[in-house]
Amino acid sequence: MIPESLPAATHDPSAAPVLQTEGLRIDRVRPDRRDTIVTAIDLTLDPGETIGIVGESGSGKSMTARAIMGLLPRGLVAGGTVRYQDRNLLDLTEREWQAMRGSEIGLILQDPFTMLNPLMACGKIISESLLREPRLSRDARRAEVVRRLAEVGIRDASVAGRYPFQLSGGMRQRVGIAAALARDPRVLIADEPTTALDVTTQRDVLALIKSIQAARGMSLILITHDLRVAFAVCDRVYVLYAGSLIEMGSSAELDAEPLHPYSLGLLLSEPSAERRTGGLVAIPGSVPAPDEVAGSCTFAPRCNWAAPACTQDSPRLAEVAPGRLSACVRLPEIRAEMAALRRRGEQDDRPVAAAQPAETPLIKVQDARKVFRNGRRTVTALDGVSIEVGEHESVGIVGESGSGKTTLARILVGLERATGGQISVGGIPATNWASLSERDRRRLRSTIQIVFQDPYSSLNPMRSIGSILREAIAIGAPDMPDRGAEVGNLLRSVGLPADYARRKPVALSGGERQRVAIARVLAARPRVLVCDEPVSALDMSVQAQILNLLISLRAERGLGYLFITHDLSIVRQLTERLYVMHSGRVVESGPTEDVLSSPRDPYTAALLRSVPRPEPEWLAASK
Amino acid sequence: MTSADPVLLLGEQRLRAGARARRRVVSPVIWLAFAVMAGVLLMALFGALLAPQSPSAQHLAIVDAPPSGAHWLGTDALGRDVLSRVIAGARTAFFGPLVIAAASFVLGNLLGLLAGYRGGLADAVIMRWVDFMWSLPSLVILVVVAGTVGSSYWLAVAVLIVLTVPFDTRVIRGATLEQVPRPYVEAAKTLGVPRWKIMLFHIWPNVSPVAVANTCLVFAGSLVTLAGLEFLGLGLPPGIPDWGLMLSQNEALLFTNPLATIAPGAMIVLTAIAMNLIGDWLYELLTSRGAGR
Amino acid sequence: MSGRGLLVFVLRRLVVLALLLIVISFVTFSLLYISPGNLIDILLGARPHTAATVRALTREYHLNKPFLVQYWLWARQAVQLRFGTSIQTSLSVTGEIGARLPLTMFLGIYSFVLTMVFGIGFGVISALRRGGIVDRGLVGAAMLGLSTPAFVAGVALLYVFAIKVRWFPAYGVGTGFLNEFWHLTLPAVALAVTTVAYVSRHTRAAMIGTLDQDYVVFARARGLSSRRVLFTYLLRNALIPVITISGVILSSLIVGVVLVEVAFSLPGLGSLLVTAATTKDIPVLQGVVLLFAVVIVVANLLADVIYMVVDPRIRVGERAT
Repeated sequence: MIPESLPAATHDPSAAPVLQTEGLRIDRVRPDRRDTIVTAIDLTLDPGETIGIVGESGSGKSMTARAIMGLLPRGLVAGGTVRYQDRNLLDLTEREWQAMRGSEIGLILQDPFTMLNPLMACGKIISESLLREPRLSRDARRAEVVRRLAEVGIRDASVAGRYPFQLSGGMRQRVGIAAALARDPRVLIADEPTTALDVTTQRDVLALIKSIQAARGMSLILITHDLRVAFAVCDRVYVLYAGSLIEMGSSAELDAEPLHPYSLGLLLSEPSAERRTGGLVAIPGSVPAPDEVAGSCTFAPRCNWAAPACTQDSPRLAEVAPGRLSACVRLPEIRAEMAALRRRGEQDDRPVAAAQPAETPLIKVQDARKVFRNGRRTVTALDGVSIEVGEHESVGIVGESGSGKTTLARILVGLERATGGQISVGGIPATNWASLSERDRRRLRSTIQIVFQDPYSSLNPMRSIGSILREAIAIGAPDMPDRGAEVGNLLRSVGLPADYARRKPVALSGGERQRVAIARVLAARPRVLVCDEPVSALDMSVQAQILNLLISLRAERGLGYLFITHDLSIVRQLTERLYVMHSGRVVESGPTEDVLSSPRDPYTAALLRSVPRPEPEWLAASK
Repeated sequence: MTSADPVLLLGEQRLRAGARARRRVVSPVIWLAFAVMAGVLLMALFGALLAPQSPSAQHLAIVDAPPSGAHWLGTDALGRDVLSRVIAGARTAFFGPLVIAAASFVLGNLLGLLAGYRGGLADAVIMRWVDFMWSLPSLVILVVVAGTVGSSYWLAVAVLIVLTVPFDTRVIRGATLEQVPRPYVEAAKTLGVPRWKIMLFHIWPNVSPVAVANTCLVFAGSLVTLAGLEFLGLGLPPGIPDWGLMLSQNEALLFTNPLATIAPGAMIVLTAIAMNLIGDWLYELLTSRGAGR
Repeated sequence: MSGRGLLVFVLRRLVVLALLLIVISFVTFSLLYISPGNLIDILLGARPHTAATVRALTREYHLNKPFLVQYWLWARQAVQLRFGTSIQTSLSVTGEIGARLPLTMFLGIYSFVLTMVFGIGFGVISALRRGGIVDRGLVGAAMLGLSTPAFVAGVALLYVFAIKVRWFPAYGVGTGFLNEFWHLTLPAVALAVTTVAYVSRHTRAAMIGTLDQDYVVFARARGLSSRRVLFTYLLRNALIPVITISGVILSSLIVGVVLVEVAFSLPGLGSLLVTAATTKDIPVLQGVVLLFAVVIVVANLLADVIYMVVDPRIRVGERAT
């Protein structure tokens, strides 16, 4: 039952913590080896408080949440202490766990598309989660389900009778939240609850979670990879890197002055949607596995200020200021330098001049239409879209899923055929690639190429990097005299050593694979590159590397870009002009600076509002 | 962009980890499976040389005899040496299934790739045919064919090929369909790689674990089905040494010389298990090398 | 899908079923003509070749009429369950089939129950105790079962349990339900060896796949009891793949029935089929084949309907609001 009185969300620091972990460690245990997932995790959660655990993929944050719930997958064991109500949760038996889960500590998972049993109606999912006692009649149960749905913002009672696959992602996540709260837990752990949702839905769901927390007086642990979201939602933030905690502080203080090179690097490498900086500050390298950096500071291999002292021993979190913990041993020496960098990052603002559209655009799309027929259903993906991209220009197309932006990109490179409208690329009519001569198709391919979103599956896992690039050269530049040397050139141009040609994709990190994908399309020396969400599948600390690479390639080769993304921050940093798409139409267009500073269309305004800003006011902003 | 050293450092470690994984030891069970198959192959090729006695020589004085020094597995109802017959029987157990596995591998892969990659009309037609045929009881069809057209080993092999290709096609088509929407296939398309090259050199290597494992399964399955047909007395003339035929002929001898039935039965099971195990192992091996990931 | 939608679906499948049966019956009828050798000689069998017998045969089988007319006449009779007389025994084919049908049905149902109970049971246990010694043993046993055809298993079981230890009778059917049950246990077990292995492998794989799903983790995270999670989440979701292989299971059972009836000398439809094939008794072949075909086609239709009923995604249609 929802409590009758609604206490304000006061966080009382003097009260004893409701949940505390001491020295929590998680290992993957196999017959022949033992891998560390996380180590030395000390967390404290006060009643009514919201803490955030921020980390990239591979940091171990999701497993930490699972460990606290006793839901680690097979092969993973947890050690240390998780203190709740004077008990160490790691000592509980499975039966004791079942009494604890859901009624004391609740968990919301990341992916609403897999979180709900596809064979159960939503109402059933919620009602089965309710406590057995007190026993309710069927009508009372049904009424309770309706009440719970209303609590998460679903006023339509018929949703209870629908199956998860009939609902949108945002609705599914709300149902999931209602089910997780069915037993009125005191602590709620939300594991990346909005990552799989559309950008405009994310803010609503986060606001919902916060308001429910306040109404119920719960404590909340938010797990996320986005520092800005953490700052907006949480009181205090822990930063996790490669399995170890490296910093902790209140949101405001951490944002103003991070006290660890990694947090600083993360903040600096986040592209801003508010201003254009002179170039993104990237953290070189990629996230290591915890065991690779055991016995030293986990961030040392990638740190600008790494010194011999950093690799001597694993540093633990130490109090460096009231309410501030940091694991950087060199902090006193580098603190001033870091602060200066942070200030510079905040003030960097170089607006780019509004570009004049070229006379003869390289890409010209007029009134494009695309209709998908699936049995009896028809879906209109594009409903009269017109765009232009000039030579050497960098243009962005932003929209959410269902906007048609990806369909447009695929049509431009010949993966789909437009049902209507005219498209020309480099002067060649490109509405239907299949109807062109092979020569025309080849010319099109040497004009426009595409970089795909997922670097983990855009390279054939069975072929070596060298053979992938050689094939691209053979088709894109068949007259190249020395293909082997060209492979080396391509690799070098994307910042990879030439001997990577021997390796297979599985040996490369996500960022490296994306570089290879970029090298691959460069083989044909295209004039314009379509980039379909080129960095959204990568870690935050690696995204800036790839974006910087794209910027520098443009400067070197005069490439034009067509960026397809949902991320306004990326278009702000990389494009001069912008199109905003919604439901298959262009709703707004113009110079990037103008569109993002003063949007005219309400949808553009909604998109801008949903970019996370690191203040609590972001959640409360006008709907 | 700063130096690539941290990049190299971590990349090196990842490469070494991969090499470590590959050097994992092959389990002794798999060695045994390969040994069995090698043995069967040898017996199939050189049965006449390996057999201690002539498989068809009848010693009417010592029918139904239990094992002895001269006849390690005893004799059957016509006084023939069981051991020699078991060795000679490897021929019919091996070559028929080999031909079936090879033919359905080639045809099944071609049709499956085509159906999965090209889609459209070809796929619809192929799938109709596959849906109709893939779960038919092959032995029953073999029996009916034997009863009408005539009882012949190679005719049975031909019919089994016709019956197995739909099964293979279905499996390969499923695996192909999994690969087709993946970005590396689309990347190859946008680069301009010709369609047939995409099918053969991009998609098929990632489908190969399924294809290879499936072929081993087909071999084992055909072996068992053909032996079943012989057991029913339909497929070979009664004199030829064949494990299935021996099982049925010697069933009456269970009271006197059980080895005459146990030996050929055990050979059928051993060979089938060996092929099944090898198929599973090849699947694991190829998937760990990266295929289909 | 509403009741009406379900009805439309079933009707559509019934039409396909009817078409399939027509094709199968056509093929079955043509079997007579595929056989090499003189048609008359085949139909005569052991009877003497005289003008009178030839005339009688021509009249009985309408041999002087065109092919399609012959087919039509034959089909019309087949629908009325009249398949003519056996060449060997001169008895009515329908009669012979009818006499042997109960035994084969008993055997078939017995093995099907064994298959489902042990196949699913072993698969579930194996998946829940993944990696442990029970699992490894069951997986090994399944591999053995898959490689052991019904006739090898039959002879082996015969040897061990009927000859060595004499717990079960070696042949014959027995009279009375319980006696028949006891007589048919060895054959049913021999039959079920392969199918149990197959079903348990599939169930295990499906269960393991389900165990790792997010919705199972979420169910446990809400504090649902292990029992509820097992039944409502794991089993229901994991059993759906089993329905999709039911066609293969049925085929295996039919093949096994034939082999096992011969191995144990049981007078059922399987051994009738084999005898007819050995003696080229075409009318009997036609009757038995058609019967098997109908069973397979109807069973596949049933499986499709069950699948549709069980999985709401198929029933309601994929539509997001």
